[in-house]
Parts: sequence; C-alpha cells; structure tokens
Amino acid sequence: MTTTDTPFVLRIDDPAAVGSPLLGGKFGSLAEMTAAGFAVPPGFGITTTAYRYFLAESGLADAARTVRAEARGADLARVQELSSAFTAQIEAAAMPPALEEAIRGSYAELAERSGSGSAGLAVAVRSSGESEDLAGASFAGQYDTFLWIRGADDVLTHVRRCWAGMFGPAVLTYRPEATADAALADHGICVGVQQMVEARSAGVMFTLDPVTGDRSKVVVEGCWGLGEGVVGGGVTPSRFVVDKVTFEIVRRELSPQESAYGVDPATNTVGLVPVAEERRAAPCLADEEIDTLVKLAKRIEQHRGAPQDIEWAVSEAGDVHVLQVRPETVWAHRRAEQLVAQPKSAVGHVLARFSGMGVTSGNRTS
Amino acid sequence: MTLTSPDPSSAPIEPAQAVPGKRFASPFAVTTPPGAEGWESMYPYYALLSKERAEFEDGKFWFFDGMHNPEPLYPFDTIMTENWWVAVSQMSTRVWPIPLAGGIDHRIINGYLYISPNAVTDPDAIAARAEDFGVRAGHYYENWDEIYEQWVAKATDCIERLKEIRFAPLPDKEPESAVFSHRGLYSSYDLLTKYSELIHNMFEMGSYHFEMLNLGYGAYLTFREFCQAAFPGITDQTIASMVSGIDIMLFRPDDEVRALARLAVELGLTEQVLGNEDPAAAIAAIAAQPAGGAWVEAFEKAKDPWFWFSTGAGYQHSDRAWIDDLRLPFTALRGYVKNLLDGQDIARPLEAILAERVRVTDEYRTYLPTDADRESFDGLVALARQVFPFVENHNFYVEHWHHSMFWSKVRELGDVFVAHGFLDDREDIFYLHRNEIYSALYDLNIGWATGTEARGVTYWRPEVERRRRIRDVLKANPPQPALGVPPEYITEPLTVMLWGINQESVQEWLGSEGKDPNQLNGVAASAGKATGRARVILDPEQLHEVEDGDILVCRITAPSWAPVFSRLGAAVSDVGGIMAHTAIVCREYGLPAVVGTGFATTTIRTGQLIEVDGSNGVVRVLEDVNS
Repeated sequence: MTTTDTPFVLRIDDPAAVGSPLLGGKFGSLAEMTAAGFAVPPGFGITTTAYRYFLAESGLADAARTVRAEARGADLARVQELSSAFTAQIEAAAMPPALEEAIRGSYAELAERSGSGSAGLAVAVRSSGESEDLAGASFAGQYDTFLWIRGADDVLTHVRRCWAGMFGPAVLTYRPEATADAALADHGICVGVQQMVEARSAGVMFTLDPVTGDRSKVVVEGCWGLGEGVVGGGVTPSRFVVDKVTFEIVRRELSPQESAYGVDPATNTVGLVPVAEERRAAPCLADEEIDTLVKLAKRIEQHRGAPQDIEWAVSEAGDVHVLQVRPETVWAHRRAEQLVAQPKSAVGHVLARFSGMGVTSGNRTS
Repeated sequence: MTLTSPDPSSAPIEPAQAVPGKRFASPFAVTTPPGAEGWESMYPYYALLSKERAEFEDGKFWFFDGMHNPEPLYPFDTIMTENWWVAVSQMSTRVWPIPLAGGIDHRIINGYLYISPNAVTDPDAIAARAEDFGVRAGHYYENWDEIYEQWVAKATDCIERLKEIRFAPLPDKEPESAVFSHRGLYSSYDLLTKYSELIHNMFEMGSYHFEMLNLGYGAYLTFREFCQAAFPGITDQTIASMVSGIDIMLFRPDDEVRALARLAVELGLTEQVLGNEDPAAAIAAIAAQPAGGAWVEAFEKAKDPWFWFSTGAGYQHSDRAWIDDLRLPFTALRGYVKNLLDGQDIARPLEAILAERVRVTDEYRTYLPTDADRESFDGLVALARQVFPFVENHNFYVEHWHHSMFWSKVRELGDVFVAHGFLDDREDIFYLHRNEIYSALYDLNIGWATGTEARGVTYWRPEVERRRRIRDVLKANPPQPALGVPPEYITEPLTVMLWGINQESVQEWLGSEGKDPNQLNGVAASAGKATGRARVILDPEQLHEVEDGDILVCRITAPSWAPVFSRLGAAVSDVGGIMAHTAIVCREYGLPAVVGTGFATTTIRTGQLIEVDGSNGVVRVLEDVNS
C-alpha cells in the first residue's frame, strides 16, 4: 500500500503507530493511549508521508514553499489572497491513485470493524500537525476538524481540506517565538480519521486546576452533546472541580444549556440543536461518571508523567471515550511558585500562626 | 442564687434590636418568657448581665454555646462552665500567653450559656506576648510526648482519687472507731471535706483539660490552613484523615462491644444476647448459662473504664454514660452479634485505614509546587500527628471517664440529702448551685448535731419545685444563636476549631434578605447526599426512637451515640466545628453530615422529609409533616 518505505496510512492501534512521527502530535498521542489500553475510538492516520507524496504528485510542493515564503512579512490582505488561491488549488487537485486506494481501503476496514455498512460509518476527520509540539506551544484551534463525515468520497474531500488548512491565513502567519522559520517551512501534517462517538455529553478536563495551578485537582468541563461546544467556546460548560486524591467533588458550577452541538437530522450535518427539556437544567454528568472521568484523567497523567489536557466524550450508553490528549502547556512552562512565605521549623510555623502570621503568603485563589 | 437576686430591670432603656446583615439583638433585648420570672436566682451573680457593665456587655459578640450546653443550665451544672471560664481563659492570658487571644467571657441569659472570646489587637501587646509564648509554648512542643505521658499519669491519678470519694448518710451514732482512734474528727467534718475534695477534684481535672489543648489545636489548625492554601477546596475530613489516629480511645468502647459480640458467638450465647432487649435480663440469662461466667467476667472488665462513655458532651449531668444506662451498648452488641451470625466481618479495617492515610498524605505531598513546601508540609504533618493523640484522647479521660464518674458521685451525695429529708429525689441535687450545697451540708450537719430538724428539710423542696418550673419554661424557649455586635475578625483558635464559628457562620446567622426559608446552610462536614425523615433529638433519651434511614437533627452529637449512627441516613447539627467530638465518629461512619447550621433543631420538625447535602453544607426541607 505504499510506494516508499513509510506507509500512507497507520491504524492507531498498530504497534508501529506508537511514537511514530508520521502521525503528528495529536494522533501520535492517541496511538500511545490506545496501546496503553485507554478507550480511544478506533481510527487511522493518513500520515505525513502521504501528505508530502500528495504535494509531490500534484506538482504543488514548490508552490507550497513559495506561498509560505511570500506570506512571511506580507500584509494581511496579501496573505488572504495567497491563501485562498493556494487552498483552492489543493482542494481541486486529483488524489493520487495509490493514496486514494489506501484511504478508501482503510475507511472500509474501519467501517467493517465498527459493524457499520461501508457507506454509513460517521467519522471525524481532523488535522494532526507534525510541529504541534515544536515550540511547546499548542497549535490548538489552528487546524481543522470535520465531524460526522460519512462515506469514502466525503472522507477524501475532507482530507484535502485538512491539507489545505495548512495554508490558511492563521497558519501562514503563525509565528511562535523561538520557532525556526526553517522548521516551520516544511512541516508536515497527518490527517486522522476516527470513528465518531455519538456523545451524550462531552468536554475537556485538566489534571490540574488551570486557574491556580493546584495539582491536587482535576477540573472537568462538560456540556450536553458533542464537545465542540466546550472546545470552541460556543456553549458555557458546567464545571466540576474534583480532588484528585480523594475523588470528592469539591466544587460544581452548573450551567443550564438550551442547545447543544449534535447532528441535525434534516441536513445530516453537525450544528446547534435544542437540548431535551428535561436535560436543560440537569447536570450533563452523573457523579459516578465524573468519578470515572477523574480516575481516567489521573491514570492518563500518571501514564504520561505530566499534567494533561484531555478531550472526552460519554455516549448515551454511558461509555467513556478519550478523544484527545495533550500536555498542559501553561503551568508546565511557568516557574513553580513557593507557597510557604518563609521556611521555618514546624514549631516555628505554629508559633508564628498564634501571632497572626499565616504559613503561606496567601491562598491560591480560584 | 437565692442570696443574690439581681435587679431584673438592669437593661439599658432602649436595648438594640437585631439588624439583618449588621448586628444581633442586644443581650438586654432578650426578654424573660412568662413563667420564668426570677430565673436569675438560680445562677451566681457574676454570670448575669448587669446595669453597671451594660455598655461593655452590649458592645460584645455573644454566641450560644449549644455544643456543650444545649439546654438551660441546671444550677449545679454551672460548675463545668465556670470551670472553663477560668481554666481556658487563664491559659490564653496568664500561662502562655497566646499573642492574639484573650480569655473567653461567659454570661447566662434565660438559663442558656453565651460566650464571648476576647481578642488582643494592640500590636505592641501582641509582640510582647509572642516573645513569652515562643519560649513557653515552644517548651511544650519540643517536649510534647514526655509532657503528654506526664499528663496521662496526672489524669489517671485524679480519676483514681475521684473513685475513692464516697458519700453516705451521717450515722445515728459515731462508730467506736471514731472514738478510740482519738482522731477528734467525726462524720460531719468528713462530709464537708469530702464534698470540698469532690469539687476540687473536678477543678483539678478541669485545669488539666486545658493544659495542652490550645497548643494541640493550634498545631492542627496551622497544618489545616497550610493544606487549605495549597489545595483550595480540600475538605476538613480529608485533612483530619491525614493526622487522626486509628487506635484512639474514643473507638475503644465500641471495640470492646465488638469483642464482647465475638465472645458471645464463640461461647454460644447468641440466643441470650438477641432474645433479651433489657440489658439486665440479657446479663442474667447469660450468667445462667454454663459458659456465661466467662462472658460476664469479660463484660465487667470492659465496663471499667470503657463504659464510662457519655451519651452527651459530658458537661451536663443529664449526659448519662453507658455504665449508667446499658441500653446503647446492648443495642450495638445485638447488631454486632447479628452481623457475625450473617457471616460479616465486624473488625475495623485498621490496616486499610492506615494504608489509606499513608497514600493520601504522600499523594498530596507530591502535588506541592516546591521542595521548600514539601519540607514545611512534612514538618507540619509530623507535628500535627504528634499532638493528635492528646487532642483525641483527652476527651475520653476528661469528659467521659472523669466527668461521668463525677456526676455519679454527685448523685451519691444526692442520696445523702434524700436520706436526711432535704430532697425527694437524688436528681434534685442538680437544682442547687455548688456553693449552695456547701451551705446545705452545713445546715444538715447542724440538724444532725443538734437533733433539731434542719432548716433545709422544709426549705429546699419548694425551692427545687420553683426552680424546676422555671427551668421547664426556659427549656421550651430556645435561645438565639448569637447576640450583640459581631467582630470584624475571629482569630481565637478554640472558637474557630471547636465551635465552628468563623466569619462565614456569623454572616449566615446574621441573615440576609431573600433567604429561602426551607434551606439551612452549615459546614460541609462529611460528603454525600441523603434524603429521609427528620428525627429531631433534644435529649439523648430520645435516641431510642430513631428508626432506620432517619436523618438525625440535633444540637450536637456525642461519640457514644455511635450505636444509632449505623441506622442513620445522615446527620445535621446546630453547632460544631471540625474538631467537635462528633466529627471524629462521623468520619468513621462516612455519613453525610452538615454541622453548625445554627437553627436546625428550631426550624426542622420530626417527620419532615429533608435532604442533606454534606458536600455543600446545605439542608433542605422537601416536604412538611402533614403533606
């Protein structure tokens, strides 16, 4: 299925997928999660090799470099002009036959594995950039995600859209500090194709309190329906702060929800749909589900050895799925701030406390 | 007291009323309920409000000490409150002194005890006190284990001497031994001195009570504040679980009952245990069995000291101990025997509890940001664990073992008054203040010595009746949780830790407009949610009415209520902080609990359907009794 030594397509449960740079940051992490036994929806990645093969076969590789070089330092109007012209070229370009065959084959196999007919399996098609971790900064929001895609033809169309997304104005002008232009100039992209979870509720969770940096907490944010509402900021999520040691829910901020992201049956596309009356004011997660999620988050953090930012979904049946995992980037790069105002012996601290001096310089506010 | 009837018109002309959100009613605005006129005569003059100190008394913040004294005080029982009025206060002011905290003032209002902590605010005074405090308290912390060992020896010796004090009616004729020993002292003298000995024995234990307590609480409080700053939202029971012991004495009585249940099963005595609700009948039935002797022997051994276990906080004579009323331990015994016959393991999972304590502590430690923080955490958790055996065990020595025995000795003296015709019932002695008893004993001696009828024979019966009527009226009129003007800050460690009184609870009591009348807020003491029928318990006697799934609503619970805890769905109390006696046993039973609600027993009625949210400290009335 490949014309070179490296594959066009890698299943995320393929042992070779673990740690492979071919899957980009996002999908590489999911391969690692899958191998570790976490409940990741099945899928495959269309590798960075496939992307480069596409550019080369379509004769667009040189043009890509030129567009990037020209966009650097250009004004926004010019960048937009360059971007729309080149993305149109990508979307119009023919898919090389070897690649098309590999993608159609993998999609059919995924559909078969999931028990759906080969025309019916709904998948998410999303970008997974090679350089997502280049500067330790998250490329979150810079790349595309297409939900509820059905049928191989549509998958192929959206794979090209993801590739075209590499030349969107935001990516062309994105310049994280300390990132060598050279490294960015030629970075590749993997496109992940993954079975959709029909989420009853979904959201994100952090294995530390993102506001205070308190590592003894897991903060879960969730809403009814697909997680796009939480990730994209379109829906105010409910928030649960959970003690990571005892699993007690120490704070809950419920947010009533009138509409949720879901599949509109009329158009068969993802959009805002009304939330059932009886669910609007109800919490989108039962306490037992929060407990399951938090224990999952804790295991993922232990497995990955550092605080994580996790996208999750819970199906109508109550099954919990891990949709995405990435290292927490804000507190990881901040210098740890000492809590104790002045180091003292324990007795020294207590004596000072009786004189009205606190042990710490102040509470972590949250 | 009868000698010092105060002027009932001692109030300022226009006492201030409560202003929601700002101040509570002036203590002088509290009116005497009809029928309780003259209640002041039951109490010593120094415990009453007065015209001469009205300005000072009106400007202070007074809160009702329902935790220790949920009911109007019996005149005799003021010995407990008067004891700690001095014993707690002197530690803060004269012994250490504590830099920020002064003594705690007391007043009795309509029979209820109100207290008011004094704060030290002058920076120079705080600095000077801090210097002495560092040296003196430092000495205690540095030598804690050794001093605690000495403390146990002192407390045990004090209890041994209490046990030796016995009261008997005076003899018709002095025995020959009194004559031929040439002692020159007779029963009348011994009665007076033994009474003095009893009172001073109480004050002795009362002083030991507070020798180390503030320091113990302070060390724990410091650790708690560190945890709350490092891990915002961490619950009190989690913090306590990192330091509390697993072999503390308060668990011993229940452990003894478990052991007796196992022995009953081993010896084939389950039929006798389960077939007799009445403890005396059960013991008799067991003793009649061939193997029964061994069980009765084990039971007698367990009883002393472990059944000197109060059903209340121990501060009132009405807090009966297991040893006085065996129904509670026998209820527990039957439960454990049933569990054993069902094949259940009734042992407390000590190893698991200990392993969990290690896991929880280690894990929080790893989540601290820096090594310096971890070092402070290590030191504070070690110090808190070092002081905790005293903090937890002093309860058993003082409130349970000593005080329960003390009340039983006072009853013995009550029998003397009954024998000499002063009183109809031994319990009536509690309507006399301790100093009145000294007078009454002298009166008794006069009657005995002269052969003339003592004045007390006709004096005390009607007086006791009058006082009983007044007290019954006062009891039917529950007190307000607080009076006067609340302070800006509450720093006194005992107030915060023992009574659960802090800025938030004061604000809650002050009230705000638009409050949901069906909702009470308090301290989230034990996580979880439960719904059930309310069972309002104002007297430990009512505990026997508790049915499975009931939600206990009380002023404050006592650890010895443990046998009914297993039947409860949840618990709600008016008062109590994180270190109140209740908290220790509640943790063990894992019941949802909200404490420090202020008004639960006065707003919730038995039979109402209520919901207790122990995670958020909220109690809701869902359905009234009649619907």
